[in-house]
Amino acid sequence: MSFKERRLHPVAMLIGAMRTIRRWVSAFVLPGVAFLMSQGFNLRTLVLVALGALVVAALAALWGFLSWRATTYAVSGSAFRLRTGVFQKNERTIPLEHVQSVDTVQGVIQRFFDVFEVRVETAGGGTAEPDASLSALNRASAEALRREIKGSRCEPSGVEEEAKSEVLRRLSTRELLVAGATSGQIGIALSLLAVGSQVFDDVLSEGFVRNLFDALAPRSTTVALVLVPAVVLLAWLLAIAGTILAYAGFTLSREGDLLYIKRGLLERREATIPLARIQAVRISEGVLRQPFGLASLRVESAGYGEDAGVSTTLFPLLPRREAHALLLRAAPEFAAAPVLAPLPRRALRRYVFRATVPALVVLAGAAGLSFFVFGSAAGLLGLLLVPPAAAHGWLRYRDAGWALERDRLVVRSRSLARATAIAPRRRLQSRGVVRSPFQRRARLATFLAEVASGAGGAAVQVTDLDTDAAETLAGDLGPGSRCRVAT
Amino acid sequence: MKGEPAERLDPRAKTLWRITGTLNTLPLLAGAGLGSWALVQLADRPFLIAVLPIVAVFALVVLSVGIMPGLRWRRWRYEIRSDEVDLQRGIFWVARTLVPLARIQHVDTRQGPLQRRFGLATVVFYTAAGPNQIPELSTPVAADVRDRIAELTREQDEL
Repeated sequence: MSFKERRLHPVAMLIGAMRTIRRWVSAFVLPGVAFLMSQGFNLRTLVLVALGALVVAALAALWGFLSWRATTYAVSGSAFRLRTGVFQKNERTIPLEHVQSVDTVQGVIQRFFDVFEVRVETAGGGTAEPDASLSALNRASAEALRREIKGSRCEPSGVEEEAKSEVLRRLSTRELLVAGATSGQIGIALSLLAVGSQVFDDVLSEGFVRNLFDALAPRSTTVALVLVPAVVLLAWLLAIAGTILAYAGFTLSREGDLLYIKRGLLERREATIPLARIQAVRISEGVLRQPFGLASLRVESAGYGEDAGVSTTLFPLLPRREAHALLLRAAPEFAAAPVLAPLPRRALRRYVFRATVPALVVLAGAAGLSFFVFGSAAGLLGLLLVPPAAAHGWLRYRDAGWALERDRLVVRSRSLARATAIAPRRRLQSRGVVRSPFQRRARLATFLAEVASGAGGAAVQVTDLDTDAAETLAGDLGPGSRCRVAT
Repeated sequence: MKGEPAERLDPRAKTLWRITGTLNTLPLLAGAGLGSWALVQLADRPFLIAVLPIVAVFALVVLSVGIMPGLRWRRWRYEIRSDEVDLQRGIFWVARTLVPLARIQHVDTRQGPLQRRFGLATVVFYTAAGPNQIPELSTPVAADVRDRIAELTREQDEL
């Protein structure tokens, strides 16, 4: 173990300078542009602006150099130490046994120079900021740092056992494209496009838009027929691009009690999920994915890390039937594929009722409005809403189910996507049974179990199961009744 | 799941809830009075229509001051068992919650100004998924419940 103070890779200067510039640019762009506009584009103002930019760049570079020189780190004895600050000196000491994980992130600049940002996270760490971040280390020093921190944490006997990390699954290019195409983020992309087009409209002069409309107006139906699919297609492509950026090269691997996730096209991210932190696993079958037998895996983990805080993608796309096998290898505590108990037949009425109430309210409103205000019965078109709503209720009823297998609670439900949640008994923070008077009359109840997730909790819920079943389930999941079955 | 939890809240809770219910509806009452006045003076509506907002708010007052506190108190039960805390509450939706003592991270008692007047306190206990509470116990009982939960939680950890 080395005690010497080490510096970051010199690329850290560049990264620091870029950060400073980025911070200043937002403050200067508007005044700068306004200045240019007011003075007109003559040579003098251009030179002035260029000079200003040059001064900012020079100052940023100087600051980058100074903060690089001021930043040192060391692993000494039983603690990781980070010194930063040009004027105000900060020293942060993290005891090694408190270190939860050592993650690496590779931004675009870091990738270009083949260096890594290393983040040291502690168990109690906040969700937004890493506890200590080293902006640039070359591959060898990043590895060395990780080994020193990890190595010191292992008990002497465990060192030999600590196998090299084993890759559990990689996302192939085909799967990546399918994941993007079925991601269901098309809505988000559409709204982004709407915002974009608004900006576009503002920038274009009014006369141009009017001319465009005049030219197109006679054929407006044709235009709509072409334009709408074109916009949808563009949004779809955007959604695919977003998925590729985030999930390209997604690799899930495991080393002892730690899961590693590597992902990202331009910015490579590596995240560590300690198995002990995982509270529940969700297998989600999106509307576009379920017909093809595809699903994604997510984990709820107790608060830690930047994007691992609440709910993290464990694997973005895989065949539903392979999910169990992957869980067996990645997180065996959460692997369960029991036959689910369906809800009693009498729950169907309540599901359909609950699903159609909003549609009926809309129908009543629309019919009333159209009849009394416009004197037409057009509002009755709202009737068209009712059958799909009822069908949705029926689907929710059909897909709901639950099971308790070898101390694992498995609950399947549907909102739009069909989701299966798996949580072991010892991760449940509380269980509850809720009954409304209507449920009481039908001898039905809602079962709830809470798991920790991020800073708060997340609930696993079965609506309208038999009252006795709900109470038995709540009792069986309690601390008194260990129902261990040898496997 | 066992039968209903055994313990009830302090009976003074009902009075406290009546007072908070009144305080909560006072602004509504003022708003309704203003509305009725406006209907008569500005919109020139007949008295029977103008009085409707006040009637509606009075119905709400009767409900939240006269009826709900009693129902709520009768439903609220709790019990601290050797391994779990058992809660039951809710007037319309009756909720039963079981929290294993082994999951409880810490326990507080809290007392607002009104509660202090009545000698009542609220016990709040936290799991990793958030807080749960037992409201309106008399101050000594609340202290006792808090200490018992803390004690039992420690025992669970040692097991």
